[in-house]
Amino acid sequence: MVGLSVGEKRFIQGGIAQDLRSDGRKRLTYRPIYVETGVIPQANGSARVKMGATDVIACVKAELGRPSPLQPDKGKVAIFVDCSPTAEPTFEGRGAEELSAELSVALQRCLLGGRSGAGAGIDLSSLVITEGKVCWDLYIDGLVVSSDGNLLDALGAAIMAALSNTGIPRVLVAASASPDEEPEVDISDEEYLQFDTSGVPVIVTLTKVGRHYIVDATSEEESQMSSAVSISINRQGHICGLTKRGGAGLDPSIIVDMISVAKHVSEQLMNKLDSEISAAEADEDEL
Amino acid sequence: MTTKHSAVPTTYSPSPTSRSKPSVSKDSIVDWVRPDGRGYRQCRPAFFRTGAVNAASGSAYAEFGNTKVIVSVFGPRESKKAMMYSDVGRLNCNVGFTTFATPIRGQGSDHKEFSSLLHKALEGAIILETFPKTTVDVFALVLESGGSDLPVIISCASVALADAGIMMYDLVAAVSMSCLGKNLVIDPITEEESYQDGSLMITCMPSRYEVTQLTVIGEWSTPEINEAMELCLDACSKLAEIMRSSLKEVVSGSQE
Repeated sequence: MVGLSVGEKRFIQGGIAQDLRSDGRKRLTYRPIYVETGVIPQANGSARVKMGATDVIACVKAELGRPSPLQPDKGKVAIFVDCSPTAEPTFEGRGAEELSAELSVALQRCLLGGRSGAGAGIDLSSLVITEGKVCWDLYIDGLVVSSDGNLLDALGAAIMAALSNTGIPRVLVAASASPDEEPEVDISDEEYLQFDTSGVPVIVTLTKVGRHYIVDATSEEESQMSSAVSISINRQGHICGLTKRGGAGLDPSIIVDMISVAKHVSEQLMNKLDSEISAAEADEDEL
Repeated sequence: MTTKHSAVPTTYSPSPTSRSKPSVSKDSIVDWVRPDGRGYRQCRPAFFRTGAVNAASGSAYAEFGNTKVIVSVFGPRESKKAMMYSDVGRLNCNVGFTTFATPIRGQGSDHKEFSSLLHKALEGAIILETFPKTTVDVFALVLESGGSDLPVIISCASVALADAGIMMYDLVAAVSMSCLGKNLVIDPITEEESYQDGSLMITCMPSRYEVTQLTVIGEWSTPEINEAMELCLDACSKLAEIMRSSLKEVVSGSQE
């Protein structure tokens, strides 16, 4: 929880109104983004993203499983977010449960698309090995190490970086004698398939403080928000998900305005992340 | 009953003339018929009745086609002891499904996020300052899940809150829309929801023209979102009229 005096609150609100925030940024400027990939060797892919004092880790694990009988031609993806008590003492015990659940649901909504799979950042049908029998289950876990606002965007970026770092082992399926039999699979240790991340969207959260909205809010700024809209946008400029937080109502025209601003911001963020991710991967290769 | 209802509109489809821009979705090419024979822009008949539960301070029953929901509101009553002092009231929402709500028994428990979405949709409309230190509990029970469950729960909860006499800025009406290929269909049923490409739900306060909650799932282009929002907002304002008349009906009935 952020405790602010009346003066500090005024300072934050006034700064945002004048397009000069407490840390010197403009309303639509991000804090410096730092990406590191391959931080967890046991995982298939992992990444750590820092935005200012916000620090998150995303980790992708792939396990062989059975496709659900309702969707035999699709793999499964599960997204969980854990908020560590190291980030904030209130996260201890069940304190973080609500926030974790909210972030997990928002990420699922932004990354997994509609019921039919349209607009999904992760192509579920690419995870199938034998239809109806064997598929990959992707477990995407997010961990909030340090929290200073804008967790959803940071987690979205970390998941994107982790997925581009993910290699899925090539699987050889032995031709089984009868179709009823369980197919024998052989997981290769050497050959890895690069995961396709061209469809993964970025998440842009616009936080409304007073009459203006800002990107990449710090937790002090978030404490002054009336509402926030998180929009996930893919490379084609299509909207893949949208969620609103905060109680106050918004005029529909403001939402339309926010969507077009978010689209503009997302292009810059996407380019920034792409270069950061490739730089991080190059660093990792050197080591 | 039927004669009494004839004065009140029971459906809330958006009017086709209200569209200012040309439609992006091609509803002129009818390549597909909705399972229940409705038009793409046609909503199911809506029915609300207050006072469904005697023990509650306010309650409402809503029926939209096969979707049947009961919402009861308790309070404002004392907050739990463990909670810290708060000079504004608290809102506690819980959504449950009966085991027989879905075609396969007990499947309704998949929707854990409904409770928090209901909370988010309502909190902006309730004047929490009017009941400091206390909690208002909103319990929703889906008797039968027939598609567009969450919008029905939200609309019904708002009627129940009004019935309980909780101060609100305005009634909250909710409408959802599904994107199926190139078509946008309003108020989808379960079957349509199961193969939708995307969905959009708006909850709004029509008199203030304010959106309290908006969720979008699946891939949408900007013109599609704009059109869907416009249609949903129009439908919301009509739905709010139905909700309001259901509240008035009870009062005029008791005076007779």
